[in-house]
Amino acid sequence: MKSDTIISELVVLDLEAEDSEDFFRKMSDKLVEKGYVKESFYEAICKREAEFPTALPIEPESVAIPHTDPKHINQAFIAPVRLKKSIKFCEMGANDIVHDVRFVFMLGIKNPEEQIELLQLLVDNLQDEELMRKLNEANTVDEYMAALITMKGFEA
Amino acid sequence: MKRVIVACGSGVATSQTVASKVNRLLKENKIDARVDVVDLKSIDRHIDSSVAYIAITKVTKEYPIPVINGIAFLTGVNQDAELKKLIEACK
Repeated sequence: MKSDTIISELVVLDLEAEDSEDFFRKMSDKLVEKGYVKESFYEAICKREAEFPTALPIEPESVAIPHTDPKHINQAFIAPVRLKKSIKFCEMGANDIVHDVRFVFMLGIKNPEEQIELLQLLVDNLQDEELMRKLNEANTVDEYMAALITMKGFEA
Repeated sequence: MKRVIVACGSGVATSQTVASKVNRLLKENKIDARVDVVDLKSIDRHIDSSVAYIAITKVTKEYPIPVINGIAFLTGVNQDAELKKLIEACK
């Protein structure tokens, strides 16, 4: 499984955002600027998250995996973001349950068949205490990326 | 072969991932059933031909077939319990 879908220029550490819409605004600007998504992405992802939220209730920390339709995506990506302060995301399949999330992995899915394995790997690995510790302690984008590519099942 | 349906918000990521995993689990458990990804809007049309519905979005109505929690298969949390329910439904 290729790990190069995790894009290092899209890693953001200690991003400050008021709420998920503010978060999506900031990330969408960056993604549009770098050519990964179309302008339609921002509205689409806000709408989708509101209707079909993506927080996963896992241990040690809840994470969110927001994504939207392939038609808004130019180039496939995973953008790993660590927020400075947690923001609220609702739980997937249980919209009323709210989680305080600091780790968000934005998924730019272009070809579902190629990327579903990646999604499963991500969700499995994010339940590993050791990985989450490394992600919490990383001080630079390089350290964060280095931790992510150690995930089980990935080839560098 | 019995049919099981799964649907999610955009049909691109989560439902496919869950379908893939559950199909593998069913095969491992030698259950003669197949999981199909369907569009969330067209669930009602597929209910009659299915023995179970794996839900990844909030379920707001009653269905005549068992509703299984799909997130459990994605995260692995509570997966065994949901798999048991699914296998029962496939009998």
